[in-house]
Amino acid sequence: MKPAAFDYARAATIPEALAALRDGARPLAGGQSLGPMLNLRLARPGKLVDIKRAEGMRAVALSATSARLGAALTHAEIEDGRIEDVTRGLLPHVARGIAYRAVRNRGTLGGSLCHADPAADWVTTMAGLGATMIARGPAGERAIAAEAFMLGAFTHALAEDEMLAAVEIPRLSPAARWGYAKINRKTGEFAMAIGMAVLDGPLARVVAGAVEGPPALLPRAAAALLAGETPDLDAELAERLPHLPPPERKLRAVALRRALAMLSEAR
Amino acid sequence: MLPVTLTVNGERQQLLAEPRTHLADLLREKLNLTGTHLGCEQGVCGACTVLIDGVPQRSCISYAVDCDGAEITTIEGFDTDPTMAKLREEFSAHHALQCGFCTPGMLVTARDIVLRLGEVPEARVREELSGNICRCTGYVGIVGAVCATARGCAPRDSAAPIAATALAAAAVAAPVETAAPRAAQPLTGGTSLTETIAIAAPPDQVWDAMGDLPALAACLPGAEITEVDGEAIKGRMRVALGPIKVAFAGTGTVSLDAATRSGVLRGAGRDGGTGSSAEGELRFALTPSATGTDVAITLQWRLTGALAQFGRSGLVADLVRRLAAQFAANLQARLAGQAPPAAPAALNLFQLLWAALKARFGR
Amino acid sequence: MDGDGGGARGGGGIGARVRRKEDARHLAGRGQFTSDIRIAGMRDVAFLRSPVAHARVVSRRAPAGADLLFLDDLTGVGEIVTRSSIPGYKLSSWPVMARDRVRYVGEIVAMAVAADRAAAEDLAERAEVEFEPLPPIASCAAGRAEGAALLHPEWGDNLFLHSRFDSGIEAVAATAPVKVELDITCARQVMHPMEGKGVVAWWDHRAGMLVVQTSTQVPHLIRSGLAEVLGIPQAMVRVAAPDVGGGFGYKCLLQPEEICVAWLALTRKAAFRWIEDRREHLVAGANARQHHYTLTAYANEQGRLLGLDAQVEVDTGAYSVWPFTAVLEAAQAGGNLPGPYDFRAYRAEVFSVATNKPPFAPYRGVARPGVCFAIELTIDAIARAVGREACDVRAENLVPGSAMPYVNVTNKHYDSGDYPASLATVREQIGLDAFRAGPARDEKGRYLGIGFATYTEQSAHNTKVFAAWGLPLVPGYDQAQVKLTPDGALEVRAGIHTIGQGLETTLAQIAHSMTGVPFENIRVTLGDTATTPYSTGAYASRGIVMSGGAVSRAGEVLAGRIKAIAAHLLQTEAEQIEFRDGRIHAGAASLDYADVGRAWYLRPEQLPEDVNTAGLEVTEGYKPATDNGVFSYASHAAKIAVDPETGIVEILDYVIAEDCGRMVNPMIVEGQTYGGAAQGVGTALFEESPYDEQGQPLASTLIDYILPGPTEIPAFRISHSETLSPHTAHGIKGVGEGGAIAPPAAIVNAINDALSGLGVRITQIPATPERIRAAIAEAQA
Repeated sequence: MKPAAFDYARAATIPEALAALRDGARPLAGGQSLGPMLNLRLARPGKLVDIKRAEGMRAVALSATSARLGAALTHAEIEDGRIEDVTRGLLPHVARGIAYRAVRNRGTLGGSLCHADPAADWVTTMAGLGATMIARGPAGERAIAAEAFMLGAFTHALAEDEMLAAVEIPRLSPAARWGYAKINRKTGEFAMAIGMAVLDGPLARVVAGAVEGPPALLPRAAAALLAGETPDLDAELAERLPHLPPPERKLRAVALRRALAMLSEAR
Repeated sequence: MLPVTLTVNGERQQLLAEPRTHLADLLREKLNLTGTHLGCEQGVCGACTVLIDGVPQRSCISYAVDCDGAEITTIEGFDTDPTMAKLREEFSAHHALQCGFCTPGMLVTARDIVLRLGEVPEARVREELSGNICRCTGYVGIVGAVCATARGCAPRDSAAPIAATALAAAAVAAPVETAAPRAAQPLTGGTSLTETIAIAAPPDQVWDAMGDLPALAACLPGAEITEVDGEAIKGRMRVALGPIKVAFAGTGTVSLDAATRSGVLRGAGRDGGTGSSAEGELRFALTPSATGTDVAITLQWRLTGALAQFGRSGLVADLVRRLAAQFAANLQARLAGQAPPAAPAALNLFQLLWAALKARFGR
Repeated sequence: MDGDGGGARGGGGIGARVRRKEDARHLAGRGQFTSDIRIAGMRDVAFLRSPVAHARVVSRRAPAGADLLFLDDLTGVGEIVTRSSIPGYKLSSWPVMARDRVRYVGEIVAMAVAADRAAAEDLAERAEVEFEPLPPIASCAAGRAEGAALLHPEWGDNLFLHSRFDSGIEAVAATAPVKVELDITCARQVMHPMEGKGVVAWWDHRAGMLVVQTSTQVPHLIRSGLAEVLGIPQAMVRVAAPDVGGGFGYKCLLQPEEICVAWLALTRKAAFRWIEDRREHLVAGANARQHHYTLTAYANEQGRLLGLDAQVEVDTGAYSVWPFTAVLEAAQAGGNLPGPYDFRAYRAEVFSVATNKPPFAPYRGVARPGVCFAIELTIDAIARAVGREACDVRAENLVPGSAMPYVNVTNKHYDSGDYPASLATVREQIGLDAFRAGPARDEKGRYLGIGFATYTEQSAHNTKVFAAWGLPLVPGYDQAQVKLTPDGALEVRAGIHTIGQGLETTLAQIAHSMTGVPFENIRVTLGDTATTPYSTGAYASRGIVMSGGAVSRAGEVLAGRIKAIAAHLLQTEAEQIEFRDGRIHAGAASLDYADVGRAWYLRPEQLPEDVNTAGLEVTEGYKPATDNGVFSYASHAAKIAVDPETGIVEILDYVIAEDCGRMVNPMIVEGQTYGGAAQGVGTALFEESPYDEQGQPLASTLIDYILPGPTEIPAFRISHSETLSPHTAHGIKGVGEGGAIAPPAAIVNAINDALSGLGVRITQIPATPERIRAAIAEAQA
């Protein structure tokens, strides 16, 4: 199938992109999720504005405590280590598991986050890292906690006149450990379940992903991890994900256990 | 039509293209470079893989206008490339092709594997090839040919790092309290769900307040009742699932039973764009509780057409669940005599599913 | 004719592992598929398809001036009606676009014509069609239920056919000490050639002919079908197949789209094109594999199968396809269920149920992946019931080599081979005995198992077999033409088509063996009704036997004529002539083929007086000595690991021991087997076109319909034996379908072996992670 007709413009700057959004255009980054929906005529935007080439959208900035990655950086650039990795290998590991190389060469970090597919990797990863989404809108910059960014399947916290400009990722210490377990039927396919855990000194985060809605942070499991106890994942998942049928919750518990097991693996 | 300038297989091309024309169609239909094949146009099968600015990408989900200024290499552009020559030789020797349809995309991907990674274990070759589907060979010959070509090859020097600047002050978003969501019953068959809300008012009072149908419908984000004529209603329901936005227009019926303090709204509507239809039913029943009234709300829906034809029904279920929660919150506010709480940005943004009611498909 | 002809074996002849002639153009990106054809002024077609499974079409309207057509606009076009001589078979009439009803999601409702595909799709959306829903029949159970809505009201029920076979089962049922019962389900699938269907049609003013280039396995049949439905003489139609990007059975049918596009070209005298997109294929092409079996098997205490009582349902879809009918699947399901096993009591009832789904079509292996799955699970179930190793029980039940030729309970004539030997081979190669002595779980906690399956593949079945299936078109002699050119090259022409299986190469190998003309000087032209002799086409693993046999025979005749001329030129007798090293020899003297070609065409004064005036151009027909088909066979063994927490299955090892008689090109035999087996892995573990109870298909994208990729397909290991068929030229048997037959059975038997300690029995394919997890949970509850 071929898409329904749409208009297209390229934004050279973020303000230009925002002006187009204000006029009703929808943002286009790598288009690797939007493209299939356009081709199937399920998405029918009147106009697309290419935001991936806007100035600053591919910028990288580093500090002692965090890295700020432009939203238009590609999965492949992260996979290949072309961006200094502040996550002790987590981001390249996750990037390599996203779809296929040809998709990773065009698909972007921000595009994937804004597509907000519950089964995609970055929404869960960023929630697990405690990253901050940097939105740009008419009123300037706005910071949104990663775990609050996705509101539901295909739904995020940006207004129609806002765009995701960057993601700020806290720097993990050299002692940090992480686990990321994705369960899927086939290489490159969307996940059936994702489990993720990060343990870095006094900080611990445990998150269940691919849960048909926003990723679920499990603070009690994180606390147990810090206390050196075995978390009661099943109980916390039942509380956090009541809408999932029990077998589906069980699968998330499996992914989480595998992620937790990775914490003790040498890396 | 927009102007597009591309360098294709070393030759500069100035063309006009509709924004909706993907790169593969431009190459095939305007430049007659028919070696780039379209196997799915869904970004999955890999038959259309070409080099865009030197790296393999899907030409079916890259739009020609969005490639303006790029260098493109198609299968026809590798005639003097030594790595491709070796691959072609090994593909033939290993019987790595049968019908030949996946072959051009497979070769473009294979060449990238050989050059980028050099000699790697077979398992890695299989992983790297996994974005290209072959239906004929069982991949035996393809994997063998790529491994044979890569034998003894060194990986390419890692690509240049992207320069970083110093980040002055980190933005810190307030951490979010993760409240447990309202309990809902597990979906049966993914097509219905029930919410119960408690109202601090006696059932009679709640029942009276629910008689105002347009106001009741307004509690369902995206729904709008435009006409009420006895039991017949007309209306509209706007729904968005990410970039998919549909507006179901249709008619329906409402029936209220004061004796049991229950009601049913039923309807069906059609979205002109996707040609999809929805039928839905909203049932509610009031029962007295210790604190006032429990309102049990059941949403049931059924989709037909393009929107229905996916395996991941959980995504629609998530949408409906959020709708139901929003409906419950709005209804509670309304019954409490308050203005409905501001809908979250997302529900303004992605209005909603279903509603406007009963009529046969297509009317 | 059982020799290898005059040419040397190897060196490009029969048995040589030569590279394919097809490769160069595809590797260069210069293949020519249907969508690559460019005709001046060509316009694109898009179809509006039904969004509902079952409805009355109340009204339809096109916007004024729009080039948007409904059925009534297609003047002179008939419907697709496929007759069958089988008693009790009910006829369906399939309009090329909806008449008063739609009967499946994806059925064509309107045709839009525009300058390009995108514009045609825009136009198709503007059709205004009103449907009045009818109750959908979304399963066999729904179709057979009391009071079910009727797809074809004039039938009185929803059965295309209710067929029965009964050799007598009561005696065995009354006395057998062991009885096992199974309920077995196979999912609906699409065939998914990487290239979808496609057709380009135009009017050739010079020839006064409709020219149809279509992605088909059966161009000569399509010509007959098109002429019939369009109501024009066959001489007015030329059908040719360009490069075909995979067929697998999907492209052996007359499609409504071919008729619609051909009608446009015929009536408007211009060029039109329709290219199936993937969504169309996944929705309107979900037409294969869906069977349901209820089985009772009877055995003795050693596990010897004594009798089988079967009820089979085939979810046949809405209409009967042309020419293979809606009931070919049923005929094969009932007829092939006994498989390679030696038993004499068999009863089968097969229900071909009309449902609101796309019309059923024969996919690689036709019913055999389903019947193999059913019978092989039955063998394992019997082995469990008697507490023995399944591989041992299987070996004892197979028809032994000493019994060949063997006629089985459903009158299949197994011509040759040693089935137990192939099983013994894979048993040894997969390492069953060492495995049984080792751990049941791996270091990751996954359960390990090994499963087996043995099957026969009836290939090149011919006139009597097809006539017994009641088909309207019955294959007989396949023909081929060979011609020596004036410069000594060889042209081979056959009406069959190459769809990936490499016939340009293997027919050249046979021609080389027969004539000695160097392999590289042989050019093969296929699949064009204007330039090739008649063949019903490429299906049913018949190509290499039938067309190969025809090329062999034509080559043999041509070789005699070459020898006669060469003998005259060399002043010797024809008996002294031999073909060797690409030249024609008589003792120390030799000639080039060009010398013979030149003499016939350009220097006739050099020819002998009694020269055969038919010249160096020969068309011959061929049919094997038997009409019953010849049986290839194989055993497969899979070693798998099941992750009990996720339900994910990994295939650790997969071995195949196959025998397809004489291999013309072992490399191609292996390629066919690997490719078939990969599709079998898809059937076993991944591929499924589910429908909801409204008849809505739930897999319209490749995210929903999962095709196995390189990490899901194992590195198959294969071994061959070559038991020559006594009935065919060179002892060749067909091999195109076989690989797809056994994997579901071998893999699921392995899963059940792995999970036997948990009491899990998987009897449904694909064995998805969800199903395996559910089965484990159920067993543990």
